Amino acid sequence: MMLRGIYAIVVLDMKRFWLNRARLFAGLAQPLLYLFVLGAGIGASMGGRMGGGNYQPFIFPGVLGLSQLFTATFAAITIVFDRQIGFFKAVLVSPVPRPAIAIGKIAAGALQAFLQGVVVLPFAWIAQVPFTVGSTIALLGAMALASITFSALGVAVAARFTSTTVFPIVSNAVLLPMYFLSGAMFPLDMAPPWMKVAVFFDPVAYAVDLMRGALLGRFYFNPWLSLGALAVIITLLTWVAVRIFNRGEDDSSLGATNFNWRR
Amino acid sequence: MGLPCAPRPLCWRAVTETAPAPAVSAASQAPAIEVRGLVKRYGEVEALRGIDLTVEAGERFALLGPNGAGKTTLFSILATLRAPTEGGARVLGRDVVAERDAVRREMGIVFQEPAIEQQLSGRDNLLLMGLLYGLTTPAARRRADEILGQLGLADSAGRPAKTLSGGQRRKLELARALVTDPRILFLDEATLGLDVEGRRGFWGHVRGLAAAGRTVFFTTHYMEEAEVADRIALIDAGRIVALDTPRALKSRLGGGVIRLQTEDDTQARAWLTERGLAPEPGTAELMLLHADPAAVLPELLRHLPVKVRRAEVHEPSLEDVFLKLTGRKLGADAPAEKAGGWRGGKGGRGRP
Repeated sequence: MMLRGIYAIVVLDMKRFWLNRARLFAGLAQPLLYLFVLGAGIGASMGGRMGGGNYQPFIFPGVLGLSQLFTATFAAITIVFDRQIGFFKAVLVSPVPRPAIAIGKIAAGALQAFLQGVVVLPFAWIAQVPFTVGSTIALLGAMALASITFSALGVAVAARFTSTTVFPIVSNAVLLPMYFLSGAMFPLDMAPPWMKVAVFFDPVAYAVDLMRGALLGRFYFNPWLSLGALAVIITLLTWVAVRIFNRGEDDSSLGATNFNWRR
Repeated sequence: MGLPCAPRPLCWRAVTETAPAPAVSAASQAPAIEVRGLVKRYGEVEALRGIDLTVEAGERFALLGPNGAGKTTLFSILATLRAPTEGGARVLGRDVVAERDAVRREMGIVFQEPAIEQQLSGRDNLLLMGLLYGLTTPAARRRADEILGQLGLADSAGRPAKTLSGGQRRKLELARALVTDPRILFLDEATLGLDVEGRRGFWGHVRGLAAAGRTVFFTTHYMEEAEVADRIALIDAGRIVALDTPRALKSRLGGGVIRLQTEDDTQARAWLTERGLAPEPGTAELMLLHADPAAVLPELLRHLPVKVRRAEVHEPSLEDVFLKLTGRKLGADAPAEKAGGWRGGKGGRGRP
């Protein structure tokens, strides 16, 4: 029931995603803006002082992360929407276990984020990112891990909200700082000391660093630390999401006293 | 705790009287719904104040009451969406708290608000429901087509749900609830917003489902819908005030109803009371119950000292029964907290 429930939730979300597949291309606008306008401008003004040569290849993994982060968050918002239209209620009265709903939501969001990343990937060629078959495979692996992290993050936050107007504000207040802090747009080696400390608590930093390392062979963290940190973060966020879903909309799971029928 | 059933003989049906059910398993012999001493509190507010209720398998059972009477709370508890504060409820012999998942597997629900994904087609909606209930993809697909055919939705099943008409969408809700072939169907104001024809079509299908042996438990605002029920529970301020067949409920009033609108209702009421005609207390308008209203009305009109604007004689309706029992109209919202609680011992007794 658990696996089938997860599968059902994933199918639901992917069907909806497919109906809105135009969003995959609309979703390109933001990362390409960062890559070719912001990236080109900043890169030119720094005149290759970025250590590893060009600025655009440097920020490319960061831009990938950005598109994945926002896609995953958008996917998570559907939880809030579903709650408003009542569809969620039909899911809640089905025998699907609550954890399956949370995990299914995370899986579906991760899948969408990953696909969005894949759509951004070909632009690496225009940004003159050097890549080989090996680095591409490593990158895809890192992208998958990043997608799961971002989706878990989105679901853990969205599960608490019932209003579609509040959630985007909150997610921006949480996501943008995380993104800016992550070293997606600048090398962390030159960051001020407080930032170097803060970055250890930023899941986005590990995800972006892993993608950058996979692509350019240039790591800020030890890759094993990143892998370990992401595994812990994903587990933790999934646990949080499951807990929130377990509480659910209803109170029948609150462990109300069992009625003694044989009294 | 729970209100004793004794002063209301009609609310308790002996289980043994009913037609012998085929003995398959313990669960199938059990009543479809069994509620004992059910109390639900939300903080200070007592939404249900001791409900006792038995619904037999295969029955069409209506829950009728004004907004705020506790209908939705009772419905939610039976549908495993809320937990009782005190007492318990069993659906198909299973406890709604302890055996929640087993109950969920065997019931279908149509909610008041839409619970289909509007962007997806009807077929996809049903397919997903099948998956959520543990069917395999081919099985869910087959089941979806079967139900869509039964409900006459096959032609429009490929279109996004949002493009369907209101009636079709409601039917799709019913289809969604039927995907897993539930033995019990919960309908919460299922036809809200439909026109008469749409409602008739909807209930036509529900009647068919009940005839196939399914138990149907529903809430409604529409009197004519409640009439299709085998039995009706009238609920007010968290208690069941009457429970019987529609005919028996109406015959409790005996004879018929006279309704009057006068220039001075207070004076008219006093005059009628003096004559021993006892208008129903508490109601906004003048309502009289009489064994032979048509015969007494001309008399009344001739002698009443105030001018009558409008007079009406009719068979008692469920609305009248409710008015008689609670002093309030069904359509009206229940007051948040009724002073002094329940109007003493009126429910359940016929006319003196």
